[in-house]
Amino acid sequence: MADESLLSDDLLRQLVALGHVDVLVGIPTLNNATTVVDVVRAAQAGLGKYFPRARSVIFNADSGSDDGTPVLVRDATTDDTGTVTASRPLRTTQRITTPYHGLPGKGSAMRMIFAVADLLSADAIVALDPDVTSVTPEWISALVRPVREGQADLVAPLYSRAAVDGPLVTQLVRPLVRAAYGWRVQEPLMGEFGCSRRFVAHCLERSWGTGVIPDGVDLWMSGEALANGFRPGQAALGPRLLAHARKPPGLPDVFQQVMDAVCSCLELHAGYWLSRGPAEPVPCYGTLPGAVELGPRPDVTRMAESFARDVSALNPVLATILSAPTLAGVTAAAATRPLVYPDELWAATVFEFLLAYHRAVMTREHVTQTLLPLYLGRTASFLLQHGSSGPAVVHDALESLGLAFEQAKPQAAAQWKKA
Amino acid sequence: MTQLVADAVRQASVNFVDTVAMLLPRVLITVSIVAVGWVIAWALKWAVRWILIWLRFNHGCDRIGVGAVLKTADLPPADTLVSLIVFWLVWVGFLLSGVDVLGFTALEGMVRSFALFVPRLLVAIVILVLGVVCANFAWRATLIAGVNARIPSPRVVSGGVRALVLILAGAMALDQIAVARTIVLTAFAIAFGAVMLGLAIAFGVGGGSIARRILDHWFPEHPGAEQEEFRHL
Repeated sequence: MADESLLSDDLLRQLVALGHVDVLVGIPTLNNATTVVDVVRAAQAGLGKYFPRARSVIFNADSGSDDGTPVLVRDATTDDTGTVTASRPLRTTQRITTPYHGLPGKGSAMRMIFAVADLLSADAIVALDPDVTSVTPEWISALVRPVREGQADLVAPLYSRAAVDGPLVTQLVRPLVRAAYGWRVQEPLMGEFGCSRRFVAHCLERSWGTGVIPDGVDLWMSGEALANGFRPGQAALGPRLLAHARKPPGLPDVFQQVMDAVCSCLELHAGYWLSRGPAEPVPCYGTLPGAVELGPRPDVTRMAESFARDVSALNPVLATILSAPTLAGVTAAAATRPLVYPDELWAATVFEFLLAYHRAVMTREHVTQTLLPLYLGRTASFLLQHGSSGPAVVHDALESLGLAFEQAKPQAAAQWKKA
Repeated sequence: MTQLVADAVRQASVNFVDTVAMLLPRVLITVSIVAVGWVIAWALKWAVRWILIWLRFNHGCDRIGVGAVLKTADLPPADTLVSLIVFWLVWVGFLLSGVDVLGFTALEGMVRSFALFVPRLLVAIVILVLGVVCANFAWRATLIAGVNARIPSPRVVSGGVRALVLILAGAMALDQIAVARTIVLTAFAIAFGAVMLGLAIAFGVGGGSIARRILDHWFPEHPGAEQEEFRHL
């Protein structure tokens, strides 16, 4: 059940007046004035075009923007409480924007969106990232339709990615989640997703919002769905283009957040994934267009040189995390020219870091930060091999990496149980 | 004359017998105290060691870096070391109590001094252990952050940080047990000042280009120019 204390009295009154809705599109925002209008328009167009008869609402949970984001979203005047409802001229789509109070971050915003969806008994819920500039009306259809047709409880996105695009997902999170949870989900860090009312109710019943994983709510939801028997699905969305943030967080910060989320989720769902068998495919809806390179190519040679230096410098720390054979393998890989960091070695490395995190052999932040240089080395190795390869070759290489993680999992699971 | 000598000898004999009669029980008491103390200290040593093994004390020490330091210094494992310290503290305490029973004027007050010294020694040991823990934490944090921030020679920097923390902890521990306090403080002040001055001169004069690179990295002229080359997510 929704925690109604999350919602102000005024908002509750408006929601009660709305009654039941079929589709709710949730947009958590924080200073997204440059991009949020296009996202809202795409959502409205998608709802109007693909679900013309459905009662729908676009709900914006804003965590205190000071650039006018809520004003742009609601396109109406504020009342005393800062909560506004504006009837949309097309069909029955409503737009609600409201500030939320509590812990800042996407986790709190999503919790509020889910609480509203639960209160409105929404059949299908879609969450959109307000920073994405490539969102189209078709995304709404792709994320909603499998849920409304009863084919899936959680629809994860499927993006077109070039070899160079998103290595933190393709090299680390995707194969690790695949091996651990036993589902071939391509994008566990769901930027956008669709889900069912049943899944929303489940999430609200969990101890959500206690601050355990405030930065990893997307991954937490993926894990909750996979670990609790909800039917997963994937919707082909195409390329995901993001607006340039004013002050983007550095890679160490991003890596730390992602690794904290991954490790927290694996700790949380250990009861499920430790006994889970080989990975099963996840149904895909739609056809993915070809990938396009979204930015400049990285200087892989420099990354490889840095990797050799970093492994040498971090050797005393690595010796407390990695087993002797794995450390010897990493050291040997760092010395090879051109750099080759094999799939099996990378999988063993990641799982041994995971075990070190679980056993807390040192401060957990130190464990995850020590993995960063190795991740960059693995990325450099992959791009040296496949940076110019065609989509089919890249796909096969990533599939091979996923299998390497699956093969490394049983030993890691056995050690995890012993720890 | 002969009578006088005989009386003196007799008196001396009586005095000797009296002294022996007076001292012998004390010696026996001292020996008993020392022997019982040894047994108690030995039992305590094993009890402490057993408890520490049960608590996986060595594992904890390894996690905070104390185990590695002990290994480097060719010392026994942490649980053995702690139990040995307990043994010696207890037994020396009994030993001094036994000696005090003998009533030697020269040894009077030793027990009191020892009783005053033990807490300071324990505090000094705690300071040292905390110093080692802090030094290892600072070393690891500096090393990892240095590598990830692309700072030149991260091992040198992190090693320097660890050495400074260890020197500081060592000086504090020595000061606590009041061993050559003036010399320790003076030596520490001179050494610390010399190291800082040396580093400042080396950084400013010898490492001007490195300093420039680091400052450029920390405070770029055009913020955003050092952004990641490609999307990791």
